[in-house]
Amino acid sequence: MAGQTRYVIIGASAAGMAAAEAIRAIDKSGPVTVYSDESDPPYFRPLIPFLISGKKSAADMAMVGHGPYRGTGIDVRLKSKVAGIDARMRTVSLKSGEEVAFDRLLLATGSSPYVPPEIDGTGQEGVFTLRTLSDARSAAGRAEKSRRAIMLGGGILNLKASFALLERGLKVTLIVQSPQVLSQLMEPDDASLIRDALNKAGLEIETGVSARRILSGSNGVNGVLLDDGREIACEMVCIGKGVRPNAAFVDSENIRVDRGIVVDQFTASGAESIYAAGDVAVTVDPVTGGRIVTALWTNAVEMGRCAGFNMAGKPTAYGGTFGILNATQVAGVSFVSMGIVHTSGLDYETHVHESRGAYRKLVFSPDGERLLGVLLLGDISRAGLYRFVIREKMPVAKIKSQIINHALHYGHFIRT
Amino acid sequence: MTEPREIFVRLDRCMGCHSCELACAVAHSRSKSLYGAISEQPRPGHRVYVEAVRPDTPVPVLCRHCEDAPCMHACIAGAIGRNEEGAVITQADKCIGCWTCVMVCPYGVVGRQLEEHKAYRCDRCQGRETPACVQACPTKALVYRSVRDFSRDTRKTASKTMIVPQGG
Repeated sequence: MAGQTRYVIIGASAAGMAAAEAIRAIDKSGPVTVYSDESDPPYFRPLIPFLISGKKSAADMAMVGHGPYRGTGIDVRLKSKVAGIDARMRTVSLKSGEEVAFDRLLLATGSSPYVPPEIDGTGQEGVFTLRTLSDARSAAGRAEKSRRAIMLGGGILNLKASFALLERGLKVTLIVQSPQVLSQLMEPDDASLIRDALNKAGLEIETGVSARRILSGSNGVNGVLLDDGREIACEMVCIGKGVRPNAAFVDSENIRVDRGIVVDQFTASGAESIYAAGDVAVTVDPVTGGRIVTALWTNAVEMGRCAGFNMAGKPTAYGGTFGILNATQVAGVSFVSMGIVHTSGLDYETHVHESRGAYRKLVFSPDGERLLGVLLLGDISRAGLYRFVIREKMPVAKIKSQIINHALHYGHFIRT
Repeated sequence: MTEPREIFVRLDRCMGCHSCELACAVAHSRSKSLYGAISEQPRPGHRVYVEAVRPDTPVPVLCRHCEDAPCMHACIAGAIGRNEEGAVITQADKCIGCWTCVMVCPYGVVGRQLEEHKAYRCDRCQGRETPACVQACPTKALVYRSVRDFSRDTRKTASKTMIVPQGG
C-alpha cells in the first residue's frame, strides 16, 4: 500500500502497546506491527503475582480490549525475538530469519531481572525471577510442591510475590540486604509502619544479610546459605533485585546506549525514524535533573504514548518522570512514594508527621520554596495533587501549610 | 447523535450546602434511598467533594473525565476505560486497589473504598437521565450540559452583562 507509513514496534508490553494505541489514534490506516518475544498475548505485567496466588488467570490480565487498549488493526506477533536492527536500511531482523521493513521503529524491549553474579547457584531448578507470565506459571508450579520460599530482595515486586505465596499457605522469608524493606522507596525510619504490618501478616524478614549461595539437591533448591553463615532450608527461591534495560541488541553508531537507549525529549534516538520508550529508554527526572532509567508500568505507558504520537507525526514532548513514583498497598498499608524521599544527611526541609496508622513525610527544597517529594503511608488521599505540585515546580508559599498538614485539595489551586 | 454532556461547576453559585455529596452517596448505595444508605456497610461514598478554601468559598470538585485521562493510562490492571458517552469508568471487578489512579489524578477525586479495597469515582450516574448531584443542587451550581451548550450560555450571560450598562 503506497503512501502508508509502516510502524514496527519491538516489545508488546506497556510502552509498546501504549505506542500502538497512540499511533492508531492518529493514523487510522498505516500498518502497526508489534513483535513480542513472549508466547502470551500482551498482558498487564504488574498483575502476575495474582497468577501465583490463584486470584487471577492469565486471561484476566489481558491488555487487548481492556482499559485504553481497544484500538483495531494492531497486529501483535508473538514468539518473535529480534536479532538486530539495520538503522540505515530501515529493517529489523528477527531470530527466525525474517526481515521486516519499517518507516518508523519503536524500541520498547523493556528490561530483564538482575541476577547478582556474586550469588552462587542461581541457575538451579526452583530459582525464579518474576518478570513474565511464563515465570509466574513456573513459580506457581513449584509453589505447589514447596513448604517454604525464600525471597531475595525487599522491593515491591518481592513483597507482592511474598504475599501471593503466603496466601497459598507457604512459609515465606524475605532476605533484605538493606537495613529495611522498600529501601528504594523510603528510608528505614519511614518504613516502620509497613514493617510492623508485614511482621503481623506473617512474613518473616531478615534485614542486613544477603544470600551467598543457593543450595540444591536432586529435586533442585533445598536451601540458602546466608553471608552470616546461617543456612535456611527452602524449596524455592525468588530473586527480586531490580531489572536492567534490554538494550544489548542495539548495534548502531547512531543510537547511543548508556545503561539504556538514550533519547531526546521527543523520544527519538539518534538514528532517524527510530524511537525508544519504556524500561529500555533513558529519560530525565524533572526533580533532580538527572538521567534515569525506570521500571514502572505507569512511566512506560506515558512514554510509549509520547513515542507513538511522535511516530505518527504529532510532535509530543516527554517531560520525563520522577525516579520514584510508586503507589501500592501491602499488608493492608497503602502508601505513595514520589520524588525525592531519601533525605538523611541532606539539606532538605522535611516535615514528618506520625499518627496511629498513618505517616507522612513532605520534602521541600532547602530554601523551602518548592515541594520535591512526598511519602504518604496509610492516608494517601488526593496524592495526585502533590505529584502535580512537584512536577510543575509550583511555588508553594501560599499552600505550604496545607501541604504539610495533608489538607491540600483542588480548590486551593483555583481559589485563594 | 446527541452531543455528550458533562457536569460543569458554576463556582459563583455554590453555597456549600453539600446536597450534591448526599445525593451522590445515595445514588451509589445499594438501597438507593437515604434511610437505607445510612445503615449500609460498607458505607456508600460520595464522588463529588465540596471543599472549602475558607468557610465562605466552597469549591465542588469532581472527576473531569479528562480527555487524556491520566488515571486510565496509569492503571496497571486495565480497570479504567471510557464508555460511549465519554465518561471514564472504573470497573470494580478489575480494580486491584493499587491506588495508582489516586497517585496520578491531578484533581484528587479518586476515592478509596477501604473495606472492599477498590477505587471509585464519579461515573456521571450511568443509566440516569441527569446525574444525582446535578439534580440535587438547589442553586444550579452544578449543570449537566454539552460543552457547546454550556459555552453558549456562558457567552450569552456575559454579553447581557456587557450590554445592560450600555443601555442596550
